[in-house]
Amino acid sequence: MMTVRAEDTGGRRRLEFVLNGRPVEVWVSPHETLLAVLHDALGATEVKYGCGEGVCGTCTTLLDGAPINACLLLGLQAQGRAVTTVRGLRGAGGLHPLQQAFVDHESAQCGFCTPGMLLVAYVFLRDHPAPTRQQIRAALAGNLCRCTGYTRIVDAVEACAATHRASREAT
Amino acid sequence: MGIVGKALPRFDVADKVEGATLYAADWSLPGMLAGRLLRSIYPVARIRRIDVTRARALPGVAAVLTADDVPQNAIREDATGANRAPFDTPVLAAGRVCYQGQPLALVAAVSEVVARAACDAIDVDYEPLPGVFDVEAALAPGAPRVHPDRENVLIHWRLRQGSVDEGFRRADVIVERTYRTQRVDHAYLEPEAGVAWIDGDGIVTIRSSTQVIEHFREIAEVLGLPHNRVRVIAPFLGGGFGGKEDMTVEPYLALLAWRTRQPVRMVWSRQESLLARPKRHPFIMRCRTGADRNGRLMAQEITLLGDAGPIPLLSPRVLFAALVVGAGPYRVPHVKVDAKAVFTNNVPTSAMRGFGAMQVTFAYESQMDLLAERLGIPPLELRARNFLRKGDRLPTGEKIETHVALPEASRCALDALGDRSRPSSASAKVGRGFACNIQPYGRTVWFRDQASAWIGFEADGSLVVRAGVTDLGGGQAAVLAQIASEVLGVSPDRIAVHIGDSALTPLTGGTFATRQLYMSGNAAWKAARELRALVVPVAAGLLEASGPDLQFADNEVRVAGSPERRIALARVVAECARAGVPVAHLSVFRGDQAPPVDRESGQGKTFPDYTFGCHAVEVEVDTETGTITLLKHVACHDVGRAINPQSVAGQIQGGAVMGIGQALLEEIALEDGNNLTTLFANYLIPTSLDVPDIRPIVLESGEGKGPFNARGIGEPPTGPPPAAIASAVWDAIGVRPLELPIAPERVFDALEAQRTGAGSETPEVTR
Amino acid sequence: MYLYPFTYCAPTTVDEALGLLQAHPDGKILAGGQSLIPLMGLGLAQPSALIDVNNLPGLEGVVEDGGSLRIGALVRHRTLETDPGVRRCCPVLAEAASVIGNIRVRHRGTIGGSLAHADPAAELPLVATAMGATLEIRGPRGSREVAAEKFFLGYLETDLAPIEMVTGIRVPVVDAGTGCGLAELVRRAGDFAIVAACAVVSLDDAGRCTRAALALGGVGSHPVRIRSAEALLVGHALTDRRIEDAAGIVPGELDPESDVHASAAYRRAMARVMARRALAAAAARAGARL
Repeated sequence: MMTVRAEDTGGRRRLEFVLNGRPVEVWVSPHETLLAVLHDALGATEVKYGCGEGVCGTCTTLLDGAPINACLLLGLQAQGRAVTTVRGLRGAGGLHPLQQAFVDHESAQCGFCTPGMLLVAYVFLRDHPAPTRQQIRAALAGNLCRCTGYTRIVDAVEACAATHRASREAT
Repeated sequence: MGIVGKALPRFDVADKVEGATLYAADWSLPGMLAGRLLRSIYPVARIRRIDVTRARALPGVAAVLTADDVPQNAIREDATGANRAPFDTPVLAAGRVCYQGQPLALVAAVSEVVARAACDAIDVDYEPLPGVFDVEAALAPGAPRVHPDRENVLIHWRLRQGSVDEGFRRADVIVERTYRTQRVDHAYLEPEAGVAWIDGDGIVTIRSSTQVIEHFREIAEVLGLPHNRVRVIAPFLGGGFGGKEDMTVEPYLALLAWRTRQPVRMVWSRQESLLARPKRHPFIMRCRTGADRNGRLMAQEITLLGDAGPIPLLSPRVLFAALVVGAGPYRVPHVKVDAKAVFTNNVPTSAMRGFGAMQVTFAYESQMDLLAERLGIPPLELRARNFLRKGDRLPTGEKIETHVALPEASRCALDALGDRSRPSSASAKVGRGFACNIQPYGRTVWFRDQASAWIGFEADGSLVVRAGVTDLGGGQAAVLAQIASEVLGVSPDRIAVHIGDSALTPLTGGTFATRQLYMSGNAAWKAARELRALVVPVAAGLLEASGPDLQFADNEVRVAGSPERRIALARVVAECARAGVPVAHLSVFRGDQAPPVDRESGQGKTFPDYTFGCHAVEVEVDTETGTITLLKHVACHDVGRAINPQSVAGQIQGGAVMGIGQALLEEIALEDGNNLTTLFANYLIPTSLDVPDIRPIVLESGEGKGPFNARGIGEPPTGPPPAAIASAVWDAIGVRPLELPIAPERVFDALEAQRTGAGSETPEVTR
Repeated sequence: MYLYPFTYCAPTTVDEALGLLQAHPDGKILAGGQSLIPLMGLGLAQPSALIDVNNLPGLEGVVEDGGSLRIGALVRHRTLETDPGVRRCCPVLAEAASVIGNIRVRHRGTIGGSLAHADPAAELPLVATAMGATLEIRGPRGSREVAAEKFFLGYLETDLAPIEMVTGIRVPVVDAGTGCGLAELVRRAGDFAIVAACAVVSLDDAGRCTRAALALGGVGSHPVRIRSAEALLVGHALTDRRIEDAAGIVPGELDPESDVHASAAYRRAMARVMARRALAAAAARAGARL
């Protein structure tokens, strides 16, 4: 039988960080993961609970540009950092090309894995502008999808990389 | 056709890539409490006492409920629809538990932390008891009963056609094997979740990740309320696959909201979902198949045993579907199938994509391969000599009413494999295989299935579609817009689809049994055609043309052959309003109906129709470790008509990968009813590195019972992969897998047996 | 999404961190958190305090120092995977880091945390054992060093006292005549290994083996060196046959357990296969002509 603990309401601290380019401030308890802070306290529902083990990828968030498991980071550990969710991908002109590629290739069915998948793909393409399909598969292997079978996700990432290269070559 | 048949972007995908879609757990209301279940530690136990005193006393706890607090603590099931095995399942266990993880108590508190502390503070005095954990043991004479008031056989379906004794006498070759499939989890990325609240006029409202909004009726019964006081709303689901077809969080949320009068959210942890949520039935399939020397099937004698866990849920229907197609998509004069769902104290089992028809594919296709090998006939040729054709009868005696595209599908799939790959190392062997399948779509016909849809014009010519479908991610909502667009000429961007609300959208029945396109698609098609028929005379009057010459497209009505004669739909709508002609219409579509099949022979009409397909694969086996790598996978299905080809291809690809997961990786392992696989890290679903590109080939025979002659495609692609992969493994290394998953250790053991010459001449991959 | 309540501390020096460990006997160090936080979420670990060491200075360097690579305890797996210094000096360490979990886990997980956690199927403890690495440990009474092989004692059990923390690890730099190999059997990429082997061999100018280390993981409560197999290699040319024979010794030296993932017999058989593959890779990289 586990020991019963009362909620540690006295231990709340002020947490300040940058979310998708905007400064935010919220009071959190230490036991709130970044996922709980983003989803519940800040309404960033695009970051999702899928497993709590760091395995599924639905809570993928960028911390200073690096993909991490929001369910395995304490909210307080984001202090002073830059946090990016899928909502941070959109530019002034509309959807990010990767998001548009997902729409064009119907790379999302239920869509639950999609925010995390997009962030990992985005970081990967940023660092690997000319990937092979196998390299794309390896980059996405940590984000689970149960609906699409992955082929169309790889198609979208590949197409986006090709378009980006073509437009860079054209300029 | 301008719209149907086009790969239109689905309207919901744009929101999904922006993370804007609000799933069940993304909903928040002021004062919302957190709900949590206390679940049984033991598989079988008497509950001597549950003491909730300490839990109720914790600050921040709003309610702690046990069985006594549930107005009607029984969900009455009659899964057969033929009143053959009614059963009451408690919402909260009272007095005894019969599976590990069964809900015992229910808590609502101000936060998840307090809710968890409250559950930790509930004292349960268990008296663990022995249980029944093996299907064959459950069937043995003198076996202890899972339920004191009934036998361990939940249901026994029988199918008899001709005489198998006669058939086997006439067979020149008989092959007999036992096949086993494992317990599998749906593993949708979105865990079970929902929010419930009491609405302004006292309606208990549940917004949850559910495939079936019609559960409002059962929830009302549990609460002791009239049906019209409960409302279920289904947002877009993060996957369903049959795992959200039975109720999950709904009755618990309703109880807490009703009791506390506050909104309540409940999100099940992945671990509790893996622990206790119903799984796909593991099957033991004993097959005896006889053919003459020309390869013509003479007899199939099959026994199917499905582990139903301790609560029936949809087990009777799963075993029924398996019964009907257990002999495969082949002409067989003599068939005897016995399908039993058997109670045990293992984790419950219920619907999962494929629904019984999926598991039997592994058996009947493996049998065909074995026959082909014994007879010296190439496996494709053997099948071609036996494929069912339109007009043939299934073993149930019913006629196949639509085209059977198996000859084309199997040739396409195999041709698309291309050149044989070379092994990547000295210890690797490459092999190829294929498997065909038959999967019903639509509900069993004696359920008298029906679906409704409402379509109406707004004054500006834009369109509203209302249908109570639930969208699991398969485009169930978007396809209704596509159908309406085709018939009424409203461009897709001017159509709003409202789905999944039992109070506000006409009921269509749930999304399962590959029925939604057939049912709500047809309902929407009917509503659109009937609405068009209402407005045609008005449009004809305005254009001074005759009705049959009118075309509806691009938000206009035009006269065929006279491009300058056209008016905006908005004008037609305005004229209808002036003339008192309705611009909205509700239609009901009724599916095929027939009385239940004969109890002894299984003869009668069963399902409205079937989807046929074939997958071909190439694998590489590492003979040092038994590891299997999938190199190529082609999946070919006849869908009648592809309303949205991109969505159809996506379903095929996703379903194939789910089948691959069952073939190679997934297993929920139980030991004496204790679930050993409760971490997502240990439940191995395929990642992007575990599967190759899945090449979908979509055939359109133009025949099917759905709208525009479409057929359902949600479930069919899950069936062929295990058999196709087993066939490829046989081709690569000469061992025949008889059990799923085809795990490396099993392959390794079979290779060892082959190397040492131990065992039979065709070593088989078993436990 | 919510863990059990605890006291959160964020020290700014190692001494402060050690003091907090002493003050909170039921406390735990929070480094990457990729193993600890799941356990807390499941209720399997309920530390009364978490001492967040992520901001401690001096624990993040990768420095070549004499014949060793000194790696700070807070160095992330992702750094090990991509850092040119690690890839050059100790390629098998980079290779091992690259197959840990998934990219998200690798961006947070640390080498110090992985070694202190000591999962029997984890890659870094295995490589540390095979490479003959040394762990640097700080406690209230000062620093000490422990050879990796003596650090891993049992299932999730190490030589680390509750009031100590790992501050770094020193790994011998791989010189020209030395090669390392890693071979693991996994069901899916990134999963914990069912069985894994790490081999390090050095050859002299005549192609004779002067040194061999072979460690197996996933076959017991902690990684083990198979000295009898190593002895078969030292002093000889590394041919296919000799490597096969050395690998053939491995099963008899092990007593693995059966579990849901694999039976003892399969683990034994696969230990042999992985040992052979790791040795073959190491020998090839050392310049052996096989």
